[in-house]
Amino acid sequence: MKDTVTVRVQKVKKSGIKTRLIFFLILVAILLLVTLFANQIAPYDPYAQDLSRSMLPPSPEHWMGTDRYGRDLFSRVLVGAQTSIFATLALVGVISLFGTVVGTLCGYYGGALDSVVMRISDVCLAFPGLVFALAIAALLGGGVSNAVLALAVISWPKYARVARSQTLALKNSSFVAAARLSGSTSGQMILRHILPNILGPILVTAMLDIGTMMMELAGLSFLGLGAQPPTAEWGNMMSGGRSMLQTYPWLVLSPGFAIFLTVVIFNLLGDTVRDYMDPKNSRAR
Amino acid sequence: MKKILALLLALCMVLGLAACGSGSNAPAASGGKKTFVFGDTTFNAENEEPDINPHYAYSGWPCIRYGVGETLMKIADDGSLQPWLAESATNINETSWEIMIKDAVCFSNGKKCDAAAVKACLEHLIEVHERAADNLKIASMEADGQKLTIVTSEPNPILMNYLSEAYGCIIDMEVGIPENGCVVGTGPYVATEVVTDDHVSLVKNTNYWDGEVHIDEITVRTISDGDTLAMALQSGEIDAAYGMAYASYPLFENDNYKFTSIQTSRCFWGMVNLHVENPGYAIMSDPAVRKAIALGINKQGFVDVLLNGYGYTATGAFPDSFAFGQGVNTVSYDPAQAKAVLEQAGWVDTDGDGIREKDGQKLSIRWLTYPSRQELPLLAESAQATLKEIGIEVQINSTKDHNSIRKDPTQWDIWVSANVNAGLGDPANFFDTYCLDASIKNSGGHHSDRLEKLAVQLRGTFDPAARAKIAVEMQQELLDDNSYIFCSFLRMSMIMQKGVTGLEAHTCDFYELTAALDIN
Amino acid sequence: MKHYAVKRLLQLIPILLAITFLSYGMMRIAGSDVVEQKMENTSGTVSQEMIDSAREELGLDKPFVVQYFTWLGNLLRGDMGTSYVSNKPVFSTFVSKLPATLLLTLVSIFLTVLISIPLGIWSAVKQNRATDYVIRTASFIGNSLPNFFVSLLLMYLFAIRLNWFPVISRGVSLQSVALPALTLAIAMSAKYLRQVRATVLDELSKDYVLGAKARGVKFSTTMIRSVMKASLVTIITLLTLSIGSLLGGTAIVESIFMWDGVGKMAVDAINMRDYPIIQAYVMWMAIIYVVFNLITDLSYRFLDPRIRLGGIEQ
Repeated sequence: MKDTVTVRVQKVKKSGIKTRLIFFLILVAILLLVTLFANQIAPYDPYAQDLSRSMLPPSPEHWMGTDRYGRDLFSRVLVGAQTSIFATLALVGVISLFGTVVGTLCGYYGGALDSVVMRISDVCLAFPGLVFALAIAALLGGGVSNAVLALAVISWPKYARVARSQTLALKNSSFVAAARLSGSTSGQMILRHILPNILGPILVTAMLDIGTMMMELAGLSFLGLGAQPPTAEWGNMMSGGRSMLQTYPWLVLSPGFAIFLTVVIFNLLGDTVRDYMDPKNSRAR
Repeated sequence: MKKILALLLALCMVLGLAACGSGSNAPAASGGKKTFVFGDTTFNAENEEPDINPHYAYSGWPCIRYGVGETLMKIADDGSLQPWLAESATNINETSWEIMIKDAVCFSNGKKCDAAAVKACLEHLIEVHERAADNLKIASMEADGQKLTIVTSEPNPILMNYLSEAYGCIIDMEVGIPENGCVVGTGPYVATEVVTDDHVSLVKNTNYWDGEVHIDEITVRTISDGDTLAMALQSGEIDAAYGMAYASYPLFENDNYKFTSIQTSRCFWGMVNLHVENPGYAIMSDPAVRKAIALGINKQGFVDVLLNGYGYTATGAFPDSFAFGQGVNTVSYDPAQAKAVLEQAGWVDTDGDGIREKDGQKLSIRWLTYPSRQELPLLAESAQATLKEIGIEVQINSTKDHNSIRKDPTQWDIWVSANVNAGLGDPANFFDTYCLDASIKNSGGHHSDRLEKLAVQLRGTFDPAARAKIAVEMQQELLDDNSYIFCSFLRMSMIMQKGVTGLEAHTCDFYELTAALDIN
Repeated sequence: MKHYAVKRLLQLIPILLAITFLSYGMMRIAGSDVVEQKMENTSGTVSQEMIDSAREELGLDKPFVVQYFTWLGNLLRGDMGTSYVSNKPVFSTFVSKLPATLLLTLVSIFLTVLISIPLGIWSAVKQNRATDYVIRTASFIGNSLPNFFVSLLLMYLFAIRLNWFPVISRGVSLQSVALPALTLAIAMSAKYLRQVRATVLDELSKDYVLGAKARGVKFSTTMIRSVMKASLVTIITLLTLSIGSLLGGTAIVESIFMWDGVGKMAVDAINMRDYPIIQAYVMWMAIIYVVFNLITDLSYRFLDPRIRLGGIEQ
């Protein structure tokens, strides 16, 4: 009696998660589509200045008002999404891919390779991101891509560690042992048995990382090490409008709201993916 | 385990209480003492003001501004010189000056400030401070009681103006430049602690030679963040602020605050890099490009909108309130003409990206500026848009590190800064600092035979009207070449709580905290 | 245990060496010439001879690797050089910034614990009920606002509207630390609250909780005796890691509140390309990293009997 009840609850929960997952996936898809076509959607040229229309409050004409230079904020927020979201996605994509590959190899082969790579990752983790960003800005100049590079160098070890520990655990599991006995090569083992099984945790880590990384990028822009003017980038726009929070609040609230919304959407998706992949929720499968 | 938990909880509670209990925010008025807190955005290492030692870089500025040091003469708002530590300064012949130090003057440690003390101070100054040595051209000095005789190596008509520069603050060289940076001057306040990029603590100079000092303790806080400055003034943590962003002015335009403002010769201007080793040399050495840049900057728009009207457009290096600022002329904002000029010189947009090219080189310039003068990045971004319209791409590098970057001629094409150009009430300092072969800050590598000749002439001319005439000619030379572009002058303001009195803005931007300062 | 700690401490050495070498190299490539920077404002006319002799004096004419080891040698003798900007010894400058950062770290960690643990547990116990949703929404919001934005809001609310706390710090005091600490605590709590919730949920779903319930043990007793105890490992790991990153200073928050700590020092130094200070900062960060990782490891071993008894491979 009790068991049946449990099963039903799990089923309901599971299908609830699935609905949520689909819902958030649609939201993210919309977000990405809007970002992709931002230039077409934007009602004004986001870089066109008109000093006579400086700091207009939000109105039907300018939905989010205008900035100091008379640029339309709504258009800038839209186009800024390209810089902010795509830079973040690229960053997370690259570090998760690189980290996973390195981590899996280290976990699988172990030995000297493992120790060396792990020490390198220690060095990267221990190196202050700010100093790295500065050095890169000094060598290659400021800009979004260089800020991304700086963050990538210090962030990949996180993924390498997740992948490594997962691989280690799998390596000792019975099904991998069985596969090994049946004569699979190392390459086959990694590709067929290990990678598919560690993708879940990596995906969840990556999803939840998007928000953090977006804010890190905004922080670097705030310190002048990220996007350079006049690039429309949310962090940049926020820090530029900051001093007018009390007098012209829309300057900072518009990009702030955009960051907030995006981070929330990605975080919710990340949470849902985690719930979805959680074996505890899949007993009914 | 339980113990750990209990401990943790207890700590949390203690902390929670502490955080809540520490809510009082009474001004630190202890024992009937009068205290004053001044917030300043510009007092920092970035502006070459890491401390208050007048013999180092621009550290003389905080020294004179915060009332620690005083100079021999004082520059009035109309540019004339008035006695301060010196009673009089007479020009005996072209190269000798006789300066009488006031008898009452003494250092804050009580030591009498006689001619010998002034001599020792100036000797050290010209030994360690290149710019000062260059300006002053002192060959020898002689001290006799209160009488100081200075002999210059060549005629120096504005020696006394230069001695009124912030580096001319007289400090007690018997104390010297102490480890903690607290030099001993003659001003109304005595420094007790200097922390670079953070604060200076001052106390009343009980030995002050020129009247009663009202405030017992002053803290000058470096506040590099504009919002923090505004909020600190709103919350009453600081009593007055220097360097408030114009965008925050509306917050203080009410009965609770007072403004003091004055038109200054602080000029937003740019210098073009003409060094041959600059990769952008081919572009910048083209007179058409320079002219187009001059034509392509919307000075009026910058003043009206981005300076919120707290300024006025510039033609030459000096405001037209000075004789040496009148009668110069240059081009004004005219995008159509700018396009025509570029077109004529062969700069055309061949690939349709909106940026012109010539001989395969893109018309792209690197604009170097810095953020501590909050309107500089605004000027950069405004110019970026207007110049793009005429087909010039502008890459902005707004960095606190601009002073070391400008020394590397390969790193920038135009350096835009905001300086007080006629702070000494005389035009010569500007040319001497920025425009001549020997100038320390001629980072663009400019050279003009005519300018050098005029500069020599200026150096030997003592009559102010004649000096003004030469200065106008020199400016015109710079303007005709378009290698120096002057954008606007600033109306400088300080904002204070309504109870503050005796705080006044001055044209030269030197004197801020004086003995007149009081708070009720 | 002791053996393990010593081993880990020894691992510190190659990491520190690698990091200092790396940063030394980067600064050398990225930076302008030390000598020119030093002579710029302090002396009169600079001739090439003066520059050359100064370079020789500082050993800058030698190969890079030699320079590095000279620097390292000086370091081991306790000499970290002098700041280009203030001309003060790097070591004493650095040490003078530590108390501020320590206090900020301590207070923000306590605030974080104060906020995140009770709320996380509460949220878990009330899973999928209104309370849970409210708490989680709040954590989402806290997690999605950039630090500098939160600091401005807090300044506006607590300093200007309510006038409880000062905007700018007045020295290292509890009153001044409140706002910067709260700013940091909000972001951290938002993150940890979710972790605490997840851990507690995990624990609650275990059979022993059900068993205890079946045996009639009071729910609060189970919570305190077992669930919280089991969640402690997660919480302590999180906390040590956070303490580590906080000790490195929080560049943005310290700068905004004029909190004179390590983070603000680093930002100022980076802005001014004050390499000796940057170098000290890099070393400090590396030491923190390694030490706190060690502490986390050791606390795992101490708290989790499975690891302690060597049952699970590390």
